[in-house]
Amino acid sequence: MDRKQKIEEALSIIWEEREKKSCGREEIKKKIFEKVKEDILEDLIKEGSIIADNDSVKITPEGEVIARDIIRRQRLAERLLTDVLELDRGAMDSSACEFEHILSKEVEESICTLLGHPKECPHGLLIPPGDCCAKAKGLLESIVIPLAKLKPGETARIVYVLTREHPQLHKLMSLGIVPGVLISVHQIFPSFVIQVAETQLALEKDIANEIYVKRGQ
Amino acid sequence: MNIVLVGNPNVGKSVIFNALTGSYVMVSNYPGTTVDISKGTGRFANHKFSVIDTPGVNSLVVHSEDEKVTKDVLSRGGINCIIQVADAKNLKRSLLLTLELIELKIPTVLNLNMSDESRERGLSIDVKKLSQRLGIDVVETVAVTGEGIKKLKEAIFRAKVPKSDIILSEIGDVNDDKIILLKKRDRIADSLTKYVSSISRPLQKRVSEVIGRLAIRPLTGIPLLILTLVFMYLFVGKLAAGKGVDFFENIIFGRYVNPALAGIIERYIHIDIVKEILVGDYGIITMAFTYAFAIILPIVTAFFLFFGILEDSGYLPRLTVLSDRVFKTMGLNGRAILPMILGLGCGTMATLTARILDTKKERILVALLLALAVPCSAQLGVVMGMLGSLSVKALLIWLFTILLVMIAVGWGASKIIPGTRSPFIQEIPPIRMPQIKNIAAKTLARLKWYLKEAVPLFVLGTFILFISDKIGILKWTENILDPVVVNLLNLPQKAAESFIIGFLRRDYGAAGLYMLAKAGELNNIQILVSLVVITLFVPCVAQFFVTVKERGVKTACLIAGFVSISAFLVGYILNLALRYLVFNLGIAVI
Repeated sequence: MDRKQKIEEALSIIWEEREKKSCGREEIKKKIFEKVKEDILEDLIKEGSIIADNDSVKITPEGEVIARDIIRRQRLAERLLTDVLELDRGAMDSSACEFEHILSKEVEESICTLLGHPKECPHGLLIPPGDCCAKAKGLLESIVIPLAKLKPGETARIVYVLTREHPQLHKLMSLGIVPGVLISVHQIFPSFVIQVAETQLALEKDIANEIYVKRGQ
Repeated sequence: MNIVLVGNPNVGKSVIFNALTGSYVMVSNYPGTTVDISKGTGRFANHKFSVIDTPGVNSLVVHSEDEKVTKDVLSRGGINCIIQVADAKNLKRSLLLTLELIELKIPTVLNLNMSDESRERGLSIDVKKLSQRLGIDVVETVAVTGEGIKKLKEAIFRAKVPKSDIILSEIGDVNDDKIILLKKRDRIADSLTKYVSSISRPLQKRVSEVIGRLAIRPLTGIPLLILTLVFMYLFVGKLAAGKGVDFFENIIFGRYVNPALAGIIERYIHIDIVKEILVGDYGIITMAFTYAFAIILPIVTAFFLFFGILEDSGYLPRLTVLSDRVFKTMGLNGRAILPMILGLGCGTMATLTARILDTKKERILVALLLALAVPCSAQLGVVMGMLGSLSVKALLIWLFTILLVMIAVGWGASKIIPGTRSPFIQEIPPIRMPQIKNIAAKTLARLKWYLKEAVPLFVLGTFILFISDKIGILKWTENILDPVVVNLLNLPQKAAESFIIGFLRRDYGAAGLYMLAKAGELNNIQILVSLVVITLFVPCVAQFFVTVKERGVKTACLIAGFVSISAFLVGYILNLALRYLVFNLGIAVI
């Protein structure tokens, strides 16, 4: 791990802790040390990426830019590995960990576009939006779209199901809503009605928004 | 020998159960008909076996109460053979469940049911290959016609524990995350399905599919729903409650049964009090039997017939699509319409069916709305019959009031009762031609149940009225209810009787009002007001006890208390409104 990578890792850990609402200095210090095998908290303070007092750690606006970037790439990488390459979670984390550092801005944006500017990583944490997401909003139709955007009569293949609730995901999957499956849309109002193999399902719009599909056969 | 039937929802487990045991449990064309286990015994080649029918599950990871019932049965042990009933045309989904069942290490037979429907779709499954791969017997059946049942019975005795290599090689660690496990199983089920099945001719659109689609599109679905309701009104309200009741009450009972019985009693019984118990004002024959057999029996028969056809056609689950948005305002989703519609048949059974809903809040809400706003078949028939003799306008006012109260109370209660709404995900079965045999068996089963449950209560209710009348409690209660019945609702004092016996059964109460109206003691406004009150009034005793069992004493009592008060309150408001319109503004609303 080079210097730049270490700083990125450290900032991403502080970001994640912030999401969990735990900003305890000692804890963060310990976690960073476990990851990068070096105590670089002091360096971060010197560089002006973070401010720390005796028990809490805060990211400065300068640090925020770096942290946000790395978190975004990290989580996009996770999405790519689970949704497109269908790797299991165990295998995923370690490889995502490595290649996020070498993603260029361009590659990052094209991955984001390919995935349809996803909002959450596979663990359900928010992916900070990039420039491409803002541009894509309403302008471009991406390749991977929520089922709710399909019209009656269209067919599509399920790419992933994004839901916060474990039981809900399980229920959908046991009804045949699984990545790779071909679906066709019968109607979209007042509820969505779709056909999956020989099963006809009615869904509410919120659920249809959580199922991401790729148009066509 | 203990056999358990397991399978995805709406694949025909109950039909197989009936075929194996020769008994009859309710069979319908929608997921969730069975919400509790049924036990029966069958006999084959001199062996006796007991069979348990279970609610449908898509996975052994359970989400709702009916699914839990199945899981509990499977984990209890002592099972000699599982018959997994599968929808042959939906093999992959069935195999997904098979892969979970394999892990139980219990001898299993896989039954591919409805194989006529898969053949019709040009789909053929290589049973031999599938059987080899799973290491268990695979039997194709068409349970409704009895095809393949004999083979299935034979297979039970050869049942083997399925091979688990199929799982071990692919899945490996069964302690993985549930979702990951499901993904892995899905991959196996997918490749296995492709390995054994072949499609011989292209799929074509069938008439049933077109009807099925029309029923869920608002533009065609809503007119279809109205048409269905109009048909029901004509069949149950006009034909059965009008002509049918007339025939039974006036001709059968009025001309033959009652005079004959009265004659016999006159001749052989000389004790006045006994005579009065049998044929007096509150006589078991003149009141209880006349109400039960002459008024209500023709109505419920018609209703059960009509309802059975609707159930078996696969129409009912389609209403979930149309009604989802309405139910969302009441903190529920479209699935809630299934118990509500079943409530039109019988509120007691419907309260059990609330189990198919995913969250506790939803089940409480449905129990409340069932107790409040959903009239049961007998009551509905009597109401329709009485309103039928008034005007269509009166029927619409009644319908509008009930729906308004239901939505308002549902909306309010959903804000008060803690918890969440589950998302709307509903499987829609194919439209099928109802089978006369099943409709007949189902109607008979329901009628038998009606007679067994209602008639004793009718007799009991009449007897209570008789005693109360004799010792003066009746008059006393009527006097107590006077301020409500006479002053608030402007009804004759005698109407209180109907509300009192309405506690026992709502249809009994409605029948009482029917007699009052017939005797000319109620004017049009009074008829309408009293019908709204009796419709909203407390659930019958049986429904109350089921609510206690399912939701607990406290909730059940709260529901009953709230329902009684709101019934009279709504009646009072309606009475004021109607009187104002008719007398002050001179508008002929009815």
